Amino acid sequence: MFAYVVRRVLATIPVMAIVALFVFSLLYLAPGDPAAVIAGDQATPQDVERIRASLGLDRPYLVRFGSWVWDILHGDMGVSIFTNLPVTTMIQQRIEPTLSLMILTLILAVSIAVPMGVLAAWKQGTIIDRAVMAFAVLGFSVPVFVVGYLLAYVFALELDWLPVQGYTAFSNGFFPWLENLILPAIALGGVYIALIARITRATMLEVLGQDYIRTARAKGAGQGSILFLHALKNAAVPIVTVIGIGIALLIGGAVVTESVFAIPGLGRLTVDAILRRDYPVIQGVVLLFSFVYVLVNLLIDLVYTLFDPRIRY
Amino acid sequence: MSSATVLSPTAATAPQGVAVAAPTPDVLLPVKARKGFIGFLRRHPTMAIGGSLLLLMVLVAIFAPLLWTTDPTALAPARRTREPSAMYWFGTDMLGRDVYSRVLYGARVSLIVGFSVAILASVVGLTIGMIAGYIRLADSIIMRVMDGLMSIPPILLAIALMALTRGSVQNVIIAITIAEIPRVSRLVRGVVLSLREQPYVEAAVAAGTRTPMIIWRHILPNTLAPITVQATYICAAAMITEAILSFIGAGTPPIIPSWGNIMAEGRALWQVKPYIVFFPAVFLSITVLAVNLLGDGLRDALDPRMAKRI
Amino acid sequence: MPPLLEVENLQTHFRTPDGVNRAVDGVSFHVNAGETLAVVGESGCGKSVTAMSILRLIPEPPGKIAGSIRFQGRDLLTLSDREMRDIRGNEISMIFQEPMTSLNPVLTVGRQIGETLRLHQGLSAKQAEAKAVEMLTLVGIPEPARRVREYPHQLSGGMRQRVMIAIALACNPKLLIADEPTTALDVTIQAQILELMRDLKRTVGAAIVLITHDLGVVAEVAERVIVMYAGKKVEEAAVSPLFRNPKHPYTQGLLGSMPKLGSSLHGDEGRLAEIPGLVPSLKQKIPGCVFASRCPHTTDLCRQVAPALEEKEPGHVAACHYAVKEGAIAA
Repeated sequence: MFAYVVRRVLATIPVMAIVALFVFSLLYLAPGDPAAVIAGDQATPQDVERIRASLGLDRPYLVRFGSWVWDILHGDMGVSIFTNLPVTTMIQQRIEPTLSLMILTLILAVSIAVPMGVLAAWKQGTIIDRAVMAFAVLGFSVPVFVVGYLLAYVFALELDWLPVQGYTAFSNGFFPWLENLILPAIALGGVYIALIARITRATMLEVLGQDYIRTARAKGAGQGSILFLHALKNAAVPIVTVIGIGIALLIGGAVVTESVFAIPGLGRLTVDAILRRDYPVIQGVVLLFSFVYVLVNLLIDLVYTLFDPRIRY
Repeated sequence: MSSATVLSPTAATAPQGVAVAAPTPDVLLPVKARKGFIGFLRRHPTMAIGGSLLLLMVLVAIFAPLLWTTDPTALAPARRTREPSAMYWFGTDMLGRDVYSRVLYGARVSLIVGFSVAILASVVGLTIGMIAGYIRLADSIIMRVMDGLMSIPPILLAIALMALTRGSVQNVIIAITIAEIPRVSRLVRGVVLSLREQPYVEAAVAAGTRTPMIIWRHILPNTLAPITVQATYICAAAMITEAILSFIGAGTPPIIPSWGNIMAEGRALWQVKPYIVFFPAVFLSITVLAVNLLGDGLRDALDPRMAKRI
Repeated sequence: MPPLLEVENLQTHFRTPDGVNRAVDGVSFHVNAGETLAVVGESGCGKSVTAMSILRLIPEPPGKIAGSIRFQGRDLLTLSDREMRDIRGNEISMIFQEPMTSLNPVLTVGRQIGETLRLHQGLSAKQAEAKAVEMLTLVGIPEPARRVREYPHQLSGGMRQRVMIAIALACNPKLLIADEPTTALDVTIQAQILELMRDLKRTVGAAIVLITHDLGVVAEVAERVIVMYAGKKVEEAAVSPLFRNPKHPYTQGLLGSMPKLGSSLHGDEGRLAEIPGLVPSLKQKIPGCVFASRCPHTTDLCRQVAPALEEKEPGHVAACHYAVKEGAIAA
């Protein structure tokens, strides 16, 4: 087991290295002079020179990559071209809202989607199943900002139940925090719920057709025990895997959701950085999100044994 | 014992002294299966609905100039932010442009981006996946790189790519394609590897069939079904990504009326003039829904095994 | 005394995309307390569906069960789901063909045996585990205290079938339905499991419905036999008359295709007889005798008129127009 954990952790190093190389190289993949690209169309030659120097573009490529990685490993992601603040500081200032939004969405989505999928599988072919599947297709099809605006319009503007926009820090109390985040979380959760509900339904259908489910029925087990004890535990591995993979959707969606609901998180930071071509910030955020994504999926790999005793490392 | 002999219609024809079994009643009534085109639609309603909605949207995009539209980029400060009316069906935006015309022309951008990314990502992904599935040395390198690329959330990757380039439809297509390629490659590689293990492929290899022939005859036809399904989903995802990119200002240039751009422009006013955001949102959702339904239908029809899985 | 189980006119049909499959079509039989009844026939003859129908394990839809299944005087088909669950695993339990896949891979053996006890006898988790150890000892699994905490994948096929038997017998059922309990096992293990079932029958005193296609097994364990073909019962008798003097041509064919110990495999007289043709599709109604398409004695009458079950000899029932007189068609 321990050997497996070590091996698995080591295996993420090359993946992260490729991510880092890619994120670093993005700047040089674009046609033309990177400094000029970052400086934008209205820049003076002095601006371009200043950026060139701050990025260390005069040194050889691999040397720059090496020192960039070295700095990142020491917690230095460079300095924002626009604000001159360290990128790590900027990320620290913005991380709480994004983390809050994503965790709330995750909890909300999993606790809605899994029972939904189980219900659909149990009632396969009925109107309930069709409703769940229809909801799933809608979830995949209606973009997150459309849901966001719709929810904000109905629940904040028309009904006036919840604040329209903004964010309240968790330190100001749970309910003010929740009040601001609940609509964004539902909007962001749409696709994620659709994804998890669909895989839950499909896996449950497969599991419910297995011989051991028939055995459980023959023993006189009730419907609840068959669905949630006998079947769901067997279906857990694919479901948990998809929950992990779906984090990518959450990250992408968070960028947009934060724009719609004016949440001052990493998503807003990314959008602002793009508009200002603040490349060190973009690199930092992309790298951070990718790292989180890889880490979450690594953890999920490691918890498989909790669900399935047949998996041994 | 329940061997009671009951008289039945056939008993009349039976000779004397022959014990005739009672006919068993029908417990279930059979359902009539329809054949032909109507039957196909009944069996695959999602494909029918998705296909016709998408066709409608394509027709709207092609014939936008004929559908009572005006110049979608014509500014008219005098008639800013008019509510929807008989004159301006979807109202006008803050620069006085006709939202109806902009939304109809916006279909062009979404569909071009969606279809182009689907085709490009499929072709490139197919090639990469084939190479990885067939050349062991290339496989480990390619899959490492793909793993790395897949660790970057696709929208973020597209954003990062767009941040570097000038906004244009062409660049949006390239950026989204790059973000989608790893998934297709993985899919194709998986299919190729499992097909190579199939007895009939192994038999062809044993019979001395040359590799290009095997790929052409056995591998390619079998990857076509899953890749077609995947392509429709990519098309849907690409349309959403394009809208997101444009919405946050990293997509098509603002001069081009794309649904994401129209919504981005309506954003500042959405609390007072929600219709500017509303109409492109509805069109985008319906189009993506149509493509997704088509994809689900195709999946059910082409690959029942995969349909069971997801 | 009325029989323990009385199945009358059982019909189990399934709706499929290309028509209604009449998997079991008008089967009647009974099981007395403490007796062993064998149900034999080829695969697809409806014997497993019959077994599943008794416990109402057929998913409805697409299936549909009709007729009556009286167990201790109560018609199981009229019970609520709740009442049916109280019977399953408690008064009637079942062993399945595939020991490799019939146990839940993610639950310990002890938990799976204990579940029955907790459901029907209201034992606590701790009591259930103690009883599970007891059951494992009873079915002859060594080191039961250790095995009870293991998962199915850590056990061999024979051990798993023993666990299945332990689950089935945990609540002292009055009726045990065993659906091909030995088919998936090695020959030596088969003998052990049969031996175990015979022993346990003596100690527990349950009646057994043994579903099998293996006539060797029937001869060893059963007291009475019903033969099924294409969803119908075609013959019923006690074991020895059936083996000595089969009435239905299908039963004759089945017995003829069974290798006998000591018979030479060389030479013509030692050749195994086979039944030509295939089981007919159950999706169309068959107007005459269901076996007409494969029977060596078929006449026009057979093709047109379905034969009723008739008592050809006392206690010996068969559905064949020509088996009326003893030996009339016997080869």
